[in-house]
Amino acid sequence: MNEPAASSVRYEETTKRYGNASAPAVDRLTLEVPAGEICVLVGPSGCGKTTAMRMVNRTVEITEGDVLVGERSVRDREPAQLRREIGYVIQQIGLFPHRTISENIGAVPQLLGWKKDRIRARSAELLALIGLDPELGDRYPTQLSGGQQQRVGVARALAADPLVMLMDEPFGAIDPINRERLQNEFLRLQAEIRKTVLFVTHDIDEAIKMGDRIAVMREGGRVEQYATPAELLMAPANEFVEDFVGADRALKRLALMRVRDINLWEAPLAHVGQATGEVRAKLASPDVEVPFPLLVDGERHPLGWLSERDLLAEVVPARPDSPLGPVLELDDVMRDALADLLQHETQYAPVVDHSGRIAGVLSVEIISEFLASPDAKSDEHPAVERPHG
Amino acid sequence: MSAFPLASFAGAIEFIFSPQTSNVTGGNEVGGFDKSMELVLKHLEVTVLALAIALIVALPLGLYLGHKGRGELFAVGFGNAGRAIPELAVIALVAVLIGVGLKTVAPALAVLGIAPILVNTFVGVRQVDPAAVEAARGMGMSELGIVRKVELPLAIPTVMGGVRSAAIVILATATIAPLAGVETLGDFILNRNVYGENGLLAGAILVAVLALAIEGLLALLQRRLTSDGLKVKTA
Amino acid sequence: MASPALLAAAGEVGGDFFKERTSGTLPCQADGSHLFCFDWAKENIDRYGEPAQQHLEIVVLSVVIGFAIAFALALFAHRSRWAQPPLLAATGVLYTIPSIAFFFLLLPVTGFGRDTAVIVLAAYTLQIIYRNTILGLANVPASVKDAARGMGLTERQILLRVELPLAIPEIIAGLRVAVVSTIAIATLVVFINAGGLGTQMYGSGNLTFPTSIIIAAAIVMAMALAFDLVLLTVQRLTTPWRRVGSA
Repeated sequence: MNEPAASSVRYEETTKRYGNASAPAVDRLTLEVPAGEICVLVGPSGCGKTTAMRMVNRTVEITEGDVLVGERSVRDREPAQLRREIGYVIQQIGLFPHRTISENIGAVPQLLGWKKDRIRARSAELLALIGLDPELGDRYPTQLSGGQQQRVGVARALAADPLVMLMDEPFGAIDPINRERLQNEFLRLQAEIRKTVLFVTHDIDEAIKMGDRIAVMREGGRVEQYATPAELLMAPANEFVEDFVGADRALKRLALMRVRDINLWEAPLAHVGQATGEVRAKLASPDVEVPFPLLVDGERHPLGWLSERDLLAEVVPARPDSPLGPVLELDDVMRDALADLLQHETQYAPVVDHSGRIAGVLSVEIISEFLASPDAKSDEHPAVERPHG
Repeated sequence: MSAFPLASFAGAIEFIFSPQTSNVTGGNEVGGFDKSMELVLKHLEVTVLALAIALIVALPLGLYLGHKGRGELFAVGFGNAGRAIPELAVIALVAVLIGVGLKTVAPALAVLGIAPILVNTFVGVRQVDPAAVEAARGMGMSELGIVRKVELPLAIPTVMGGVRSAAIVILATATIAPLAGVETLGDFILNRNVYGENGLLAGAILVAVLALAIEGLLALLQRRLTSDGLKVKTA
Repeated sequence: MASPALLAAAGEVGGDFFKERTSGTLPCQADGSHLFCFDWAKENIDRYGEPAQQHLEIVVLSVVIGFAIAFALALFAHRSRWAQPPLLAATGVLYTIPSIAFFFLLLPVTGFGRDTAVIVLAAYTLQIIYRNTILGLANVPASVKDAARGMGLTERQILLRVELPLAIPEIIAGLRVAVVSTIAIATLVVFINAGGLGTQMYGSGNLTFPTSIIIAAAIVMAMALAFDLVLLTVQRLTTPWRRVGSA
């Protein structure tokens, strides 16, 4: 990157006071968000996190103090101009119903006076980036599902290549399944584009998953702790933070790990048409970790598990007795992988790499062994810095 | 007409309250409070009668169609068509084709009022929260009971809007009912040669005042009939 | 059909009832046996041309003026919410006062003729257009306005590019009602010598004859229908996003 794609955001004694209210909604907030990082503002409702976020683009006006975006005071800027350089994603999405998806995405570039061709190209680029079919560009928002609409909302915010992104509970209105997908996609995106993001949520799990840094807030926008997710989980600053994070901190830490971070087990591999004698021999070996053979094809893609009955034949059959069950990926977040295992009530799940090739087998045992190990309890776990794509 | 508008109005007000000797038609005494009130009452009489007829016809029909959810095209189309009917034609045709007098004019005026009441009742019922209706049905309420206790009360604001529209158009058309032999305040307006310029203006003033009064009354009625739950502003 | 009662009524309103308007005879009418004289209609259809044109001119003028005023008031009240109740009340009064009375109320000020007609008819349209415009603007989802503001649209741009386009259906709905109602009511301007199709229903203190009344009424209603359809088409054309199904 030759030019800065993102700016830092700095709160300096930023205060918001409403009318006759006795206490300020945000009281002298001082916080620095380094460029290119996701900073999550998390806290109970009414703590001022949304107000604090909105003061960055002045959709809420600052009463005292200042906010600096890239070392420039936001109070010196003309609000409409300022906002065109800041991406803005809200919970209810707010797509323009009377404009097509492409037009929605191109809204800010149009305000900035980009040429039509450039806008069209950018819209198409972003549609691809958020994983939507290009022909959706000519549809209207009502024709899209909630998850698709929110993706468009993110694309719209990114269109003019903003220095900072503000996201206010962006995935809050989406169902849990799609929410997880959107979170993962956004993290993948962020790994590529590295924007400075101020992300507001009331969900501590989302905060831990999404944030490079998390600011736990209470009423008045007071920051009780501003730290990385690992620090937050392992060393909560006080009782409030501890309560907010929740008693299941150990499990929560699984959200910080990827499947690739752990030592996977190996299952004996079998190919179609292979002599079952060979397979049985592998099974008999003393250092076998998984007692079931895994059927794979020529490309080492897993096809299913072989049972005792399968092995009675002379050669390995093409269709195994047991179905494959959940297939995990190396990049999966550990907590989601555990959830998959538990939900499908399966002990073992094959893990594949990004080309679908078998890389190992994960089991609940491995995970619980890890949680119990001294490794997991240490203060600094280097692998747990920030799962990068 | 007098060059000073205020003076004309003053003359009209005087006409309403005290009989005047009109110099236009042979010095007969015209106007005055008694005559004015007589015509006001006659105007009201035909208006109320027509409105009642319109209500009796349109309200149940609108409730039925709205409850069943049928006949939307008919109801809405009727409403639109009703708005396009020129009132003068209605009065004129009644007068020349059917007959004069209250017996024929009141139903004719009612026709004009049926459209707004029908449309608004239909729409009002359709807009009632289906969840409330479902709940009532699930409780074991009869269909008639649902209409009476759930749909109608919740639809009151919209229905009353239709009633008010009907009242306005009926009252307005009653002004030209004298063309069909029914004495109303329109007499003052249409028979200038009898009542003079003061009478003309007086008639107009009385009709306007009467219309505003009726509208005000119906607005009050609407507020009384609207359940408190509907009036509460959501937080 | 010329019953004694009818003739008696005729006496009450003063003058003859069936006044011949053309030099030709009207045999089908004289004995009162026919409702509608087709022959006469065919022969005399062009006499409705000028009244129809007058009618249209008055209607168009009134609606355009009424719309301009009501729309401006609505834009103002959209920003200054305190103005909404008084404006609603004021336009409501103008709507409630029957047009025919209103015509004569204005006589001392503007006299007979087209001016009075246009003023009254325009005043009549104010409430429906004002109310619908306010409603249309209020129905724009708050989240859309929030997103627009946060993206960097100025207040003016939000109004022009977001709020008004989304309010079009309601605004046009109000316009349709206004136009249809005004076309019907404009028949009454005959009473203040402003012409229009009412002249074919009533003239010089008398009602005319059924055929004429029916034709004039038919033309009025046809005009209303035509305008209604045109406006409906305009609304459909300007709101393509409403025609598509939801996901």
